[in-house]
Amino acid sequence: MTAVTGESAVTQEATQTSQARTPREHTVLGLPLDIREDPRLLRGEAMYVGDIDLPRTAHMAILGSPVAHARILSIETKAAEQLPGVLKVATAADFPDVMPLPCIWIPGGVESHFPPHPYGLPGARPVLTGDTVRHVGDAIAVVVAETARQATAALAAIAVEYEPLPVVTRADEALAPGAPRLHEAVPGNLNAYWTCGDKERTDAAIAAAEVTVELDLVNQRTINSPMEPRGAVGDYDATTGEYTLYASTQGPHNHRFLLSALVLGIPFNKLRVIAPTVGGSFGTKGYLYPDMALVLLLSKALGRPVKWVDTRTGLMNSTVQGRDHRQHVTLAGTRDGRITAVRCTSHANLGAYPSTIGPGVATALMGRSISGMYEIPAAFCEVYAVFTNTVPLGAQRGSGRAEAAFLMERLVDRYAREIGMDPAEVRRRNLVPKDRFPYDNGLGWTYDSGDYLPNLDRALELSGYADMPARKAEARTRGKRLGVGLATYVAVCGVGPSTRMSKEGMLGGTWESANIRVHPTGEVTVTVGSASTGQSHGTVFAQVAADELGIDPEQVQVLEGDTRKAPYGQGTYGSRSYSMAGPAVALTARKIKDKLVKAGAVLLGLPEEQVVYAGGRVHERGDEENGKTFSELAMALWYGWGLPPEIEPALDETTHFDPPEFNYPFGSHVAVVEVDELTGETEVVAYTAVDDAGNIGNPRIVHGQIEGSIVHGLGQALMEAAEYDENGILVSRDLGHYALPRAADVPFFTLDKTVTPSPHNPLGAKGAGEIATVPPAAAVVNAVVDALSDLGVRHIDMPLTPEKVWRLLRGGDR
Amino acid sequence: MDLTLHVNGRPETFSAPPNELLVERLRDGLGLTGTKVGCDTGQCGTCVVRLDGKSVKSCLVLTAAAAGSEVTTIEGVTTRGGELTGLQEALRQEHGTQCGFCTPGMVMALGELVDDAEGKDAPTEPEIREWLTGNLCRCTGYHSVVRGVQRACAASAQAAAQVTAPAGQEG
Ligand code: FES
Ligand code: FES
Repeated sequence: MTAVTGESAVTQEATQTSQARTPREHTVLGLPLDIREDPRLLRGEAMYVGDIDLPRTAHMAILGSPVAHARILSIETKAAEQLPGVLKVATAADFPDVMPLPCIWIPGGVESHFPPHPYGLPGARPVLTGDTVRHVGDAIAVVVAETARQATAALAAIAVEYEPLPVVTRADEALAPGAPRLHEAVPGNLNAYWTCGDKERTDAAIAAAEVTVELDLVNQRTINSPMEPRGAVGDYDATTGEYTLYASTQGPHNHRFLLSALVLGIPFNKLRVIAPTVGGSFGTKGYLYPDMALVLLLSKALGRPVKWVDTRTGLMNSTVQGRDHRQHVTLAGTRDGRITAVRCTSHANLGAYPSTIGPGVATALMGRSISGMYEIPAAFCEVYAVFTNTVPLGAQRGSGRAEAAFLMERLVDRYAREIGMDPAEVRRRNLVPKDRFPYDNGLGWTYDSGDYLPNLDRALELSGYADMPARKAEARTRGKRLGVGLATYVAVCGVGPSTRMSKEGMLGGTWESANIRVHPTGEVTVTVGSASTGQSHGTVFAQVAADELGIDPEQVQVLEGDTRKAPYGQGTYGSRSYSMAGPAVALTARKIKDKLVKAGAVLLGLPEEQVVYAGGRVHERGDEENGKTFSELAMALWYGWGLPPEIEPALDETTHFDPPEFNYPFGSHVAVVEVDELTGETEVVAYTAVDDAGNIGNPRIVHGQIEGSIVHGLGQALMEAAEYDENGILVSRDLGHYALPRAADVPFFTLDKTVTPSPHNPLGAKGAGEIATVPPAAAVVNAVVDALSDLGVRHIDMPLTPEKVWRLLRGGDR
Repeated sequence: MDLTLHVNGRPETFSAPPNELLVERLRDGLGLTGTKVGCDTGQCGTCVVRLDGKSVKSCLVLTAAAAGSEVTTIEGVTTRGGELTGLQEALRQEHGTQCGFCTPGMVMALGELVDDAEGKDAPTEPEIREWLTGNLCRCTGYHSVVRGVQRACAASAQAAAQVTAPAGQEG
């Protein structure tokens, strides 16, 4: 087996193409161009929120609850107010008019019992809690002081009297009769009971099946852990009445809308949100947090900019956490390997409050995805979304889709073992055939395009799947048990079609926009509503524009992240930027081209049909000499002399792209592990991934994201877990107690791709950024179970710590 | 108390409270914000600087304990907007950085590894990975960083070979 790593994989040609590529010739799109963001980052010159230093800045610290559930009897702030440097101590009583932070993704069609926001939405949480704390870290009070150290020091002088309440941290336990109740208005702690698919049909298929297999799964709670903790700087201008928020956000426009209209009650045009360089997010920085409102309110109160930067422990106790499902899952099939039904009952742990979009992640994003790459005649998923005394649940790289792939891919392996068939063969037999697209999966998603078999076969071939028996035997001679695990996936991406999302219960348009302004000298500025958190937008959107316009990408500047300058857009999440903002850029460039053709015809004195746009020029059809360059046209349009009335001067166009449907990238991964007989340690010795993200803008960017994504997924399988003790204290409160994969924990991977363009956008693009986080947990657990299967091991809960595996090796509970 | 640090080749004299951490002095006192704080518990490596040539986590060093030492931060490695070092250039070519938050700490830590390797055998892949365990990265999965170090070592070995090769025998 030859490992395909590094540059070779980046430049490698697509191995499979199920649909014709866009016929147009690409000049710079699809090439692994250098990443223009990199030099600044490598020199440490990029400006993150923590690096912003406005004149007269005061510093804020937040008092988070030390207990998981309690009534607040009193808060005494006098002593803190007297301390050196302290400018203000504030509690809930200081902000009577501020509305609660809303939840804007309430799973479609369910009744919500939550205390409402004035606008009829569930009010997720107050900016500061005044009466009851519901998780460790729940924000109670803030101190603003001259320095960050003074602010933090003063927190200790705030005296809060608590009356402890009983605590519950598990979703299934929170539903049990007599469980501690989190919210008066929510009986039984049930935020939502949500279903998709056909229950009757599924139950019938399972009852009638030749074979059924069942599993009880814990998809443990994880912490996303971007390396940059969150931060916010608020700056109120008393002259104009305008607020500016600098925040580590992945959706500046969305946060502007939510904060101005739904929290602060100030005019939309009085709030400017700026996302500077953001140090990773993976879902967590798209949520609304109390601090964003607090720095603005306190800046107004004090007449100074107010800055807050979280600590790692603060992040772990307050930034949304991920996954956290307890599931009972069933698969039915025939003796000869044909899957006939899948059913999932899940208890999803929403934490103490419904986060901005957490309930939707736990339901629709997970439930509708469970059938994966397979054609399954009957499928059903039900989710109990439950409140507990834990940090609110949100998105985590691959969110929802990773949980779905985990249960399905574990089930398929279980089934394969039950019927004595090779797991790869079971998968091959059940893939949705190429001619069935668009494919309705019966759970609410309609897959746009796919060619799954060659993708899976390529992964099997590259991983040397056929040689595994020999490798297992060889490993045994070294005291190692070798195991191999497969996992495939389909990930809904390109959120999305606004109307469709409204049916899922999402408040707000989910379209994306782009503006292109061509300057008189021929340089181009592209401005997008999206905002990068490390995805090199500046490089790839320049490629899109340059490719369409036939100009040098060096001529193209890309701006984003400042709501005063950029057109509206939802931002970066769910692997949507390239397949949402990318098409917006392309379509805008086409508008520019159309105008150039019209203006060019006038300037050349020819009828419009007689001119063509090619290679960054307009010229006479059949006479390339008779033409105008891009720069000449830009200048002419800037002067605007001699244009007919139907052609406006200048070149400045905007597009709002709302796709007809989502897009559905997919892929097949193979993990090979070695389990040490003596120590129980699991080493991932080889990992092969073949992903299909449609047409790719810059393979170097996607390659990097795939590598990072896989490691993120391996982290969940092997070591990551947010653990709460019986009092609801988060034990994994810092990076000494929460393990993240380090460089020595992973080998180089073998990567390849197939290319199946999406028909739902002009680039043929599908989501890419986080898709490869979806299958690794399943692949690794499948591999370790394979390694231990002769001991009768059927399943192991993540994370696969050496201790857990060691016990199984020595005859522990199976 | 008054103390002096030599930061990126310049003497800086100031008075610092005894409990001040070096990373606070660098970022807040001296405005050198290239050094990042990712965890404040010595786990992540985003705050790595070089103290008398050795890479250290500056969130674990008291300013007072560094008195009199040479401190090199990411700002001392290149000039603003200037040329990249061989290591930085190699990391750029391998796209070893995504969000960039871990990057300055990586460059500082890896700088020591690459400098030390000069004139010796290049570090092996396991050695590079082992060296990197002090630095967390959530974006890249480390592969591109490891390839970047390999590339940097190969480039400096080649340069060394060219310098020492007798005229007319290159290639
Ligand atoms: S901030 Fe120093 S090691 Fe994380
Ligand atoms: S590049 Fe984002 S943490 Fe390393």
